[in-house]
Amino acid sequence: MNISATLNDRAETLRSIRDSVGALVPKAGNLQRIRSLRFTEMGFEPASLELMGKMGWISLTLPEDAGGMGLGLSELCAVCQELGAGLVPEPLIQANLSASLLAHCGASSLADDVVAGKRLITTAWQANADTLEIPVGADARRRYVPLARGADGFLLPVSRDGRVDLIYCGKDVVGVEAVPTQDGGHYGELQADATSGELIGTDIAGVLAESLDRATLATAAYLVGVMEAAFSLTLEYLKSRKQFGRPIGSFQALQHRCVDLYARVALSRAGLESAAQTWDAGAERRMRQAVVSRAKASASDNAMFVTRQAIQLHGAIGFTDEYDAGLYLRKAMVLAGQFGSARYHRQRFLTEGVSVASAA
Amino acid sequence: MRIAAQSSIAAIGANRFKGNEFIMSEKQDFAELGEEEFRSLVRRFLAENYPETLRFPAKRLHFSDTKVWYLRLSERGWIAPNWPKEYGGMGLRPSQQVILIEEYERYGAARLNDQGLAMVGPLLIQNGTDAQRRKFLPKILSGEHIWCQGYSEPNAGSDLASLRTEAVDRGDHYIVNGQKIWCTLAYDANWIFLLARTDKEAKKQEGISFLLVDMATPGITVRPIINLEMNDEFCEVFFENVRVSKENLVGEPNKGWGIAKSLLGFERIHLGSPRQSSLALGQLGTLATRRGLWEDAAFRDRYARLSIDLEDLKALYETFVECVRRGQRLGPDVSILKVAQSELYQRITDAVLEFAGEEGGFLDPVKGNEPLNPGGLFIAARPTTIYGGSSEIQRNILAKQILELPS
Repeated sequence: MNISATLNDRAETLRSIRDSVGALVPKAGNLQRIRSLRFTEMGFEPASLELMGKMGWISLTLPEDAGGMGLGLSELCAVCQELGAGLVPEPLIQANLSASLLAHCGASSLADDVVAGKRLITTAWQANADTLEIPVGADARRRYVPLARGADGFLLPVSRDGRVDLIYCGKDVVGVEAVPTQDGGHYGELQADATSGELIGTDIAGVLAESLDRATLATAAYLVGVMEAAFSLTLEYLKSRKQFGRPIGSFQALQHRCVDLYARVALSRAGLESAAQTWDAGAERRMRQAVVSRAKASASDNAMFVTRQAIQLHGAIGFTDEYDAGLYLRKAMVLAGQFGSARYHRQRFLTEGVSVASAA
Repeated sequence: MRIAAQSSIAAIGANRFKGNEFIMSEKQDFAELGEEEFRSLVRRFLAENYPETLRFPAKRLHFSDTKVWYLRLSERGWIAPNWPKEYGGMGLRPSQQVILIEEYERYGAARLNDQGLAMVGPLLIQNGTDAQRRKFLPKILSGEHIWCQGYSEPNAGSDLASLRTEAVDRGDHYIVNGQKIWCTLAYDANWIFLLARTDKEAKKQEGISFLLVDMATPGITVRPIINLEMNDEFCEVFFENVRVSKENLVGEPNKGWGIAKSLLGFERIHLGSPRQSSLALGQLGTLATRRGLWEDAAFRDRYARLSIDLEDLKALYETFVECVRRGQRLGPDVSILKVAQSELYQRITDAVLEFAGEEGGFLDPVKGNEPLNPGGLFIAARPTTIYGGSSEIQRNILAKQILELPS
């Protein structure tokens, strides 16, 4: 391919971080492991989560004095993008979210295990659908907790006395009701009495909001990876599939649609990278929220567009579960709505973003 | 030989500009300035020199309007940013050219009759003879020669290589017959560069030559075409037994196609600049304020969607600009910008028209505190997916050259 160098040209650290993801994602899009984990009890392999810990991915954005790598959101996004391309189910984003809260609260014994990937502690912050709003009361039901059956414990943000505190509950004191999700994982709904848990930190509203924004952008990155992989699968198919005695990719109607997918991927990727750079450059809070929201809205919409088109451009084979195109679509369906849908983020972008963006 | 020719051109240039301004600009070595230093210089230059009445023009201006700016740039030695210094240009580094364009766009500077500066100059510097460089370059710099382009024909648009205007070899000259169309601002021009067929037997790309023609030559007729903006930006140019000296052939005979294509360098990035979409989104905001749409949920969602698309486009544009800044040659993937920009521009103007209600049908700008012209903006967005290679042609290029889809 004759691509202007910059499109794929990243700083050397980003390149090596991306390469390191090869430890977990087999080359050539082999999704055997991913298929085998679908619709299982936990939905992921603890050993693979531990590998992520060993690679330093869970602590990537943690400050070095908290045992982290001290890297930025650009690096976390690069990892998540590669994981997305490989449809990796291990909940890196959840682990990173909890690790940053634990590190902030100085809960080092829990944090060490989380960072090492030895234990999965998931932050159950959400009570209502399609929002990034926190907090909730101590007895509120916690909803939409990804892969909750695989967690060893939960961090519960609780609103009381006008501030937000963080409570830890081990899995034995939490009731988990799971509903399966399209990608082969599940969401848990938690029944927990936070008052019985261990107080980890107080007044964490600010750091929680920031961590949720970071997780949102990481999810956008994962979605960009999903669309990249779905696009290359489709492109290869158009080149190899023959009908009417010629490859179907020779038909102009399909070529133009394929270019549209290429453009969507390039636009979302560029938007994601600039959002991460803006964050890493130390933009103020409202600007950070604005760039996170625009990147997630774009990634959610475009991932749905690209994976939906991937099915259509494959024809009937695309509608079989045996073929991989559907795996990308189902992953996009789940993540498009996680940490806020495109609609939610468009609203937030307008509220937070337009005044700051137009001033810039 | 070459060096001698270059310095003689500089001498011609110096003779043309006897004022001390030219001497000052000669002393100014722009390429040595740092990026921020250069940016503030450009800002100061615009504030001091750009005519206030020409800021943010609503349509492409004629030479009669922009001449004053052209001549001022010329006097100050700022007229040819991308030409090397020895030919009278500013000799800017690519990163400085990017800054210059950014600042001109920010200031709302009008586009000039720039075909000579953007196309003919670089072409002659690259492919011309010394005599051609001596003859033409100083007159482009001074504004004495205003150029227009003669590429498209009524039956050769997207399929440009099928062009049929012919130039018959008559020893020391050619006789040109045929018709060119969509020649931007040909009415203002006194010279035209054109692609003409010199070998009818050869494969279509291989029988084309590149000619420079004085528009005062007998047998040339120019007819303006009124476009949907009710503007006479385009022209048809007719050639009837027009005599063109072989001194005005650029490069080898029958090699004109390659020469024309070599010009499609980083200029193509301009077609993908987010400026048009940004201005249009500003108009959508003005409209929303005027009509009280900011609390309308449907409007807000639409506006946010378009703003986010614009942010993605800016980010993508920035990756290509970064390429140019580093002096890298752009690949055919730059076509993606042109498609994304022009189609977003149209989506925004669709929204402007839709939310304008009856005022979308107005021929002229709507009366109000802020300039607002919904119908005019919608119309202005139409040709952007057609000119400079239509969206369909750009998609063909991307499909073949980038995605490597089979034929």
